[in-house]
Amino acid sequence: MHKNNLIIGFDDPILITGSNGFIGSRVVETLLRSGFSNLRCFVRPSSNLTHLQGTLATAQKARVEMIHGNLLSREDCTKAAKDVKVVFHLAAGIEKTFPGSFMNSVVTTRNLLDAVVRLGTLQRFVNVSSFAIYSNWNIAGGGLLDETCELESRPVERADAYTFAKLKQDQLVLEYAQKYGVPYVILRPGAVYGPGAHHITARVGIDTFGVFFHLGGSNQIPLTYVDNCAEAIVLAGLKSGVDGEVFNVVDNDLPSSRQFLRMYKRHGHRFKSIYIPYWLFYSFCWLWENYSRWSEGQLPPVFNRRRCATYWKGNRYSNQKLKDRVGWRPTVSFSEASRRYFEYVRKTS
Amino acid sequence: MLRVAVVGCGKIADQHAEQIAHIPGCEIVGVCDREELMAKQLQERLNVPTRFAEVQDLLDKARPDVVHITSPPQSHYPVGKLCLEAGCHVYVEKPFTVNLAEAEELISLAEYKNLKLTVGHNAQFSHAANRMRKLVAEGYLGGPPLHLESYYCYDLGDPGYAKALLGDRDHWVRMLPGGLLQNTVSHGISKIAEFLNGDVPDVVAYGFTSPLLRSIGETELVDELRVIIHDGIATAYFTFSSQMRPSLHQIRLYGPKNGLVVDDDQETVIRVRGSRYKSYLEQFVPPWDYAKQYIVDSLGNVRKFLRADFQTGHGMRVLIQSFYRSITDGLPLPIPYKEILRTSRIMEEIFSQLSSAPNTIRIGHREKVPVGQS
Repeated sequence: MHKNNLIIGFDDPILITGSNGFIGSRVVETLLRSGFSNLRCFVRPSSNLTHLQGTLATAQKARVEMIHGNLLSREDCTKAAKDVKVVFHLAAGIEKTFPGSFMNSVVTTRNLLDAVVRLGTLQRFVNVSSFAIYSNWNIAGGGLLDETCELESRPVERADAYTFAKLKQDQLVLEYAQKYGVPYVILRPGAVYGPGAHHITARVGIDTFGVFFHLGGSNQIPLTYVDNCAEAIVLAGLKSGVDGEVFNVVDNDLPSSRQFLRMYKRHGHRFKSIYIPYWLFYSFCWLWENYSRWSEGQLPPVFNRRRCATYWKGNRYSNQKLKDRVGWRPTVSFSEASRRYFEYVRKTS
Repeated sequence: MLRVAVVGCGKIADQHAEQIAHIPGCEIVGVCDREELMAKQLQERLNVPTRFAEVQDLLDKARPDVVHITSPPQSHYPVGKLCLEAGCHVYVEKPFTVNLAEAEELISLAEYKNLKLTVGHNAQFSHAANRMRKLVAEGYLGGPPLHLESYYCYDLGDPGYAKALLGDRDHWVRMLPGGLLQNTVSHGISKIAEFLNGDVPDVVAYGFTSPLLRSIGETELVDELRVIIHDGIATAYFTFSSQMRPSLHQIRLYGPKNGLVVDDDQETVIRVRGSRYKSYLEQFVPPWDYAKQYIVDSLGNVRKFLRADFQTGHGMRVLIQSFYRSITDGLPLPIPYKEILRTSRIMEEIFSQLSSAPNTIRIGHREKVPVGQS
């Protein structure tokens, strides 16, 4: 990373929320490796910090401050954001309920944005969003899904609290950019995988009914290896000239769902799966959706056509914008990334 | 058409809104939360015409007939009072109020204003609870219950709630006089209160912090509670546990002739015969009888499911519906005020005993000192 291309110096303070999380801890690692020496890691008081502390132990020259707090507290946000030049906002509320997810994603983001507006030192707010907020409802199967595509307009129908909260979080960042001129960059990672996350992405299939239903078939899976994703976040967050941009994060050489599942079973963890074609599962979702409505919510509408399309219709994905504008290249190839991931899966199964 | 408003737009508000949406003859006309973003998200999702940050604005502008208070318990009394003074009927989420004095004042005000008031003890209106009530009314127990056992457990393994509560030293649940217990035990206590007679029952409480919570550094929350209650005629045991498995939600009633075991999780009501069979038949016949009852209950549950009468929020819907009917048709309240006050009184006594010996609470299980007598 050359300092001429960056919006801040290597000694400027950087705040990372969600710094103990799966991606957050890799962002901290990437920042330290890139020579940034003034980090502030925001963590929940109840967090198990073993992994993060291990990362910090490798960079003893850097000044890393741990802030234990809750982003729902305005005081904690002010304390965390004091003097910072860049905020990497990775903390997210992954909860089943709409209010829970909303509160821990949107209210927290508002508190943080209010703090940076009040303090006035911020040069960029790096909002880590999600691929889940796109809608492919009007894109044909196999069509390209990139940064220009429409966002989900009916998140409540999708019955997906996380998507709803992430959509609102993105809207809030845009609102603060317009109202208060908060400089921002939004990153929307695809399915992030790597050591530390054992589960197989829902875009391949689900095991809700006790058996793994393989639903992805020949679809391309928008994977991004956690280290590649963290590098993309750091680069896009610090590179000059990309304010107000949105970047999708997916790796090169994306495998199909079938290929990935086969590799997972062969090299990671063996289990039985049943392939369900898209049209069949889509019909099932249609039935479920209608039954849910007829029975007045006796079964919640968790299987519905909009969600089915988002995850299993199948699209193509691009990382061209990230490459062109930020100069990012995935440093870990798919073969190496999958080797590391499956090794982790094998060891932890 | 009843005009309904919801104050407090957190998780429980969603459950209220979902049930209200399925009740004919009512509509949500406004939502209110001091955190404007929370009010906005609920308004958007439910397509409600108005939202407010201040309760007074909601009352003045949306002019509801009924207000559901689903904000944290500390606000139940002031918000309830405001709503009653504005001429609204009020449904208060559990726990009813923070203390007995507030409960008494709210009920007096409702009576004075000739308005209706209820509390969200919806577990008393599950399919199983309704069947139990019918059997008791028909005299199956052979008279009023002589002894009751209520189990109300809470699995702190639930990541959403536990993470928020354990990770946040300023969480509103910690600020309640009874802490975690106050926010959870009222369902189990109210089931006992329904069958007691005396207004001031004797209470002996014993509580402590579970070894699991202590092992993660938690020193303030009491998550294990055992209580003995006696109203002069009937006795009751109440158990709250975050650790025991299965995590029961059960009430057992024993009368002069027979008993009942009511399980809210499995939605079963098992009749327990008081008389014994001769000799070895006592070991042979009753198990068959229980098996038959479980099969019948299981088939009954399947039948209800097929008829789409088995929603998770069924109890809440029945309670809300009964409350609305008491307003529109002048029917009796689903939960008598005496019962609400009895629940409040028992809870206040429990928390008073626990707080009078804070050190004993936390190490009580080692010292074997009942808190109420220390």
